Amino acid sequence: MTEVITENKQVTVVKSGNEMAAVAAKQINYHVMGFYPITPSTQIAETVDEMKANGEHDIKMIPGDGEHGAAGICYGAATGGGRVFNATSANGLLYSLEQLPVQSGTRFPMVLNVVTRSFSGPLDIKGDHSDLMTTLNMGWIILLAKDPQRGYDMNIIAVKIGEQEKVRLPVIVSSDGFFTSHQKRRVQYFENKETVQGFIGPFKAGNHALDAAHPVTIGPYMNEPDLINNKKQLSLAMAAAYEALPGIFEEYGKLSGRKYSMVETFELEDAEAALFILNSSFDTAKEAVIRLRKEGKKVGLLAANVLRPWPYHELISACKNLRALCVADRQDSFSGQGGNMTLELKATLQDDPQNRTRVFSRIYGLGGKDFYVGDAVALLNEALEVAVSGRVKNRYDYLGASSGDLNYQAESMLEPIPQAKSGLPENFNLVKDETTGITKVKGVNLRELTGMPKRVVSGHRACPGCGIFPNLNLFLKGISGNVVVLFQTGCAMVVTTGFPLTSFRVTYIHNLFQNGAATLSGLVEMFQEKKRRGEIPVDDDFTFIMVTGDGGQDIGMGPTIGTALRNHKMIILEYDNGGYMNTGYQMSFTTPFAAKTTTSHIGPAQHGKNFFHKDTAQIIAATNIPYVCTVAECNPLDYVKKAAKAQKYSSERGLVYVKAISACPLNWGDNPRLERRVIQAGVDCCFFPLYEVEEGITNITYDPEKLKKKTPVGDWLKMMGRTRHLIEPEYAQELEMFQDEVDRRWERLKARHEHSLL
Amino acid sequence: MSDLPVRDEYGFYEIRLESIGGLGANLAGKILAEAGILNLGFNGSSFSSYGSEKRGSPVKAFIRFCDSDCEVRINSPVTEPHLIAVFQENLKQILPVLMGMNDKTRVVVNTARTAPAARDFLEMPGGTLYCVDALKISREEKVKLNTTILGAVCRASGFLAKEALEQAISDTLGKKYAWLVPANLKAFNRGFEEVEILEVPDDGKYPFQPFRESPPRWGYGNAPIGGTITEIASTLRNDLSASREGLLPFFIRDNCTDCTLCESTCPDYCYVWREVEKDGRKTMVNTGINYQYCKGCLRCVDICPSQAIEARNESEVDTKKLSRVSIW
Ligand SMILES: Cc1ncc(C[n+]2csc(CCOP(=O)(O)OP(=O)(O)O)c2C)c(N)n1
Ligand code: SF4
Ligand code: SF4
Ligand code: SF4
Repeated sequence: MTEVITENKQVTVVKSGNEMAAVAAKQINYHVMGFYPITPSTQIAETVDEMKANGEHDIKMIPGDGEHGAAGICYGAATGGGRVFNATSANGLLYSLEQLPVQSGTRFPMVLNVVTRSFSGPLDIKGDHSDLMTTLNMGWIILLAKDPQRGYDMNIIAVKIGEQEKVRLPVIVSSDGFFTSHQKRRVQYFENKETVQGFIGPFKAGNHALDAAHPVTIGPYMNEPDLINNKKQLSLAMAAAYEALPGIFEEYGKLSGRKYSMVETFELEDAEAALFILNSSFDTAKEAVIRLRKEGKKVGLLAANVLRPWPYHELISACKNLRALCVADRQDSFSGQGGNMTLELKATLQDDPQNRTRVFSRIYGLGGKDFYVGDAVALLNEALEVAVSGRVKNRYDYLGASSGDLNYQAESMLEPIPQAKSGLPENFNLVKDETTGITKVKGVNLRELTGMPKRVVSGHRACPGCGIFPNLNLFLKGISGNVVVLFQTGCAMVVTTGFPLTSFRVTYIHNLFQNGAATLSGLVEMFQEKKRRGEIPVDDDFTFIMVTGDGGQDIGMGPTIGTALRNHKMIILEYDNGGYMNTGYQMSFTTPFAAKTTTSHIGPAQHGKNFFHKDTAQIIAATNIPYVCTVAECNPLDYVKKAAKAQKYSSERGLVYVKAISACPLNWGDNPRLERRVIQAGVDCCFFPLYEVEEGITNITYDPEKLKKKTPVGDWLKMMGRTRHLIEPEYAQELEMFQDEVDRRWERLKARHEHSLL
Repeated sequence: MSDLPVRDEYGFYEIRLESIGGLGANLAGKILAEAGILNLGFNGSSFSSYGSEKRGSPVKAFIRFCDSDCEVRINSPVTEPHLIAVFQENLKQILPVLMGMNDKTRVVVNTARTAPAARDFLEMPGGTLYCVDALKISREEKVKLNTTILGAVCRASGFLAKEALEQAISDTLGKKYAWLVPANLKAFNRGFEEVEILEVPDDGKYPFQPFRESPPRWGYGNAPIGGTITEIASTLRNDLSASREGLLPFFIRDNCTDCTLCESTCPDYCYVWREVEKDGRKTMVNTGINYQYCKGCLRCVDICPSQAIEARNESEVDTKKLSRVSIW
């Protein structure tokens, strides 16, 4: 055990990489954390938020409307001259990517945790390095944390290196998604935050936006001949970071007893063959080295702890005596003969005229595929062969890819839905009452509709009692003919299409979390255009339906508004369960006020979500599309009728927006058995009023007040674990504010119902 | 100070928990790790097989212990566990829960069966079986299932001191859910005491199944490019009965008025309707439940206005006999 200086006492706990990153953030006490949830990095923001609710730090937590927004929040905060923190993964990183070179190019330090995950598509939530390697050219310092302990240590070191006067660069700390982020290990942290604060020192702002005495222009328009000089400055800053890092590692080592270096080696001294492998797999590979060493084989390991600044000299010297090196890349630079680490190592070793190392590449562990000791043994043995023969037989290959069962005959469980059978809703009779402007739907017989073939079938993996599927069922009962659906990322897509299985009997598309409306616009127009050109028979028809959660309509509001303004002939069905459920219930903009979620904890210092639920239907109605409605499973007949109207308007007039309230027993904290009652209560208290806006005319289709069923919101809120606290005396003020807001919106809706011009 | 009873070639004592989301296996793993590391002085790790974390879907948790001065290096799943705990016995029907075990492995199972019956149900080839009716105990104590199973795991381990686990349970719940501690400790102790132990003879009745990653049906050689799925409606192959946590709906045709409310509420599309002739007119009637897809949420029980659906214990219903075949 290493010796520890007593005033800098450390405590031992069992925690994961994400939890340790959060502990570091708390002790650093950043000014601002801008964030947006994405697996597997979400837990960092969740843990920081929980600590906030307990009053353990003062970090201002700001949930973005997406990662692009979150990165913008961080940039803005950083220009204010303070400490800023963020964490993301995969598509979240890619969605915020354009903010990265701005942050570094305008030289505002901050810390971003990249918890690695494979980027889409197809969508995979597990860890590989495809996301991380896109950041190599962004001008950020990149520190790697191969285990939970380093998740803590590197986060502290990151602040120190990024804020060095000669450096002033933003820093990424990257750990392996799930392997490190979620694995609990024995770890240590400083008992007193003062130890951490003392190490990083006070924040020294450079030029910043909040100094009234010194106004500055941040982010000018800069072409040639100047930009090259800005980048030269950045390159010099990176060189300065290279100079400074060993000293900072040294200093941290003295403080903590854990001294890191630019590169990490294991049994490399006298090794003839070695494996270069980053982060968590490095440790697994150690066991392989131990095993092979016992057999007398001279093998070793090499990894970088810092990717930027690139440990150029350290790597050259580490490879000096190596005859063969297998570089295992957890991503591919397709056809570049290896992943990025292969390419960079080959380029680096090329500079050393004495170097005789044969380098070859293996792509492994994509999409989080597990890496076992046996895999490392195989790679090391291959490297040994190369060392002995002096020849690389197989320069570049995939480890662990499988060809599949070539004899397997594809077999569908069902035939496509026969046209004749999907036609029940065709018997509906839709007539517009010209005096009221409201279309009436007649001939809907729910019993008859039980005989209608389902476009989405059983066998999906949703939680017991999930509200998404009653919603899809009721909505599709109102739709006749061919259907193409597009789902944005969320529970509905994840539970229906886990490869190689699908719950869809009709064509289904998934694109990105936020981009469904734009994507379906494109498909609709392709259909129209092909039809116009005679490439599709004139009587072919489809109803195009996009399905999204409420979260998808936070991050995807932009594309939705664009689609509404262009008025494409399609339907958007939003199932609103009031949270990002697929990622474990973070707050969304539609989450009820003061509700507890994993990013709006309740505690002495925080009372749950601090703003009111977003009124999506009204936002969309303001775009003047032909038909907007709200639906709930507790009114099945009303639901099916509105679906029928949705189909009619989308085929004749343009975009239709349908918003459904959707139960989530897992995260609402209620009994799945009672879900229908909970939905009914949400409707009866007017939190979720049922109405439609048909060509600008508002029509309340179920009026609990007239029926003498209107209840206080508390009656609904007390049915769910997420809001039950609102009926406690200490939440009286929040409850009253909530009731006032619901009543205000309801009164306004009634006024609209009464006056066709509103 | 405890000592590990056995170690694998890397110095580990390894535990694998086989469960479904929602039963608290992940938390049980964390409690085990904390008990072993913080209270008993081992080094170790705990993690789970994460996917999308839905309730009712299969999940595994892994715990490793080694000596305090031994470095934890392996990050891959536990493949040859010294101890396996099966939180939901029906998982056996869809997954090889005992894969990688040998004749020294100890297996804890949550079951209402007798030990010999459970052995046959699990097709356990050898080792030692610890049966505990955790569902019953946890219902009686009004707690989640995991602490009861932890009691049986503690017993089966033979080296994890009871006090260390009790401490870890109190610490984990203590901060936020202090009022739950006594009931959970009681459940833990009952789990420890109320086990039926069976030395399973290595009689060749069932073969040992060595660990093996099953190769995918579709690979780079035959999968349609781009990840496109051409086999439509294929989740119909899934059997979701292991998602049920003890109760299921029982349909009584005589009381049914074919009002369709159950059809409108069932998230898993389990009700099977058929067209019949009634009074010379064609109409749809409810014929009952397809139990293959029923997750036991009981939404239908609550919604039925005619007492035509009752909640029953899984063990009281012959689902194989009563299950209807869906018509699509
Ligand atoms: C750009 C991007 N950011 C974040 C995510 C992670 N993510 C996937 S689904 C999801 C939440 C979905 O919430 P919602 O749309 O409400 O659907 P639900 O999960 O509730 O069904 C999040 C945050 C992602 N896939 N892509
Ligand atoms: S988490 Fe909620 S929304 Fe997602 S599948 Fe489970 S119940 Fe449905
Ligand atoms: S809810 Fe009850 S009465 Fe109505 S169809 Fe279902 S079983 Fe029959
Ligand atoms: S309990 Fe009822 S509602 Fe729930 S899945 Fe089973 S049949 Fe459907």
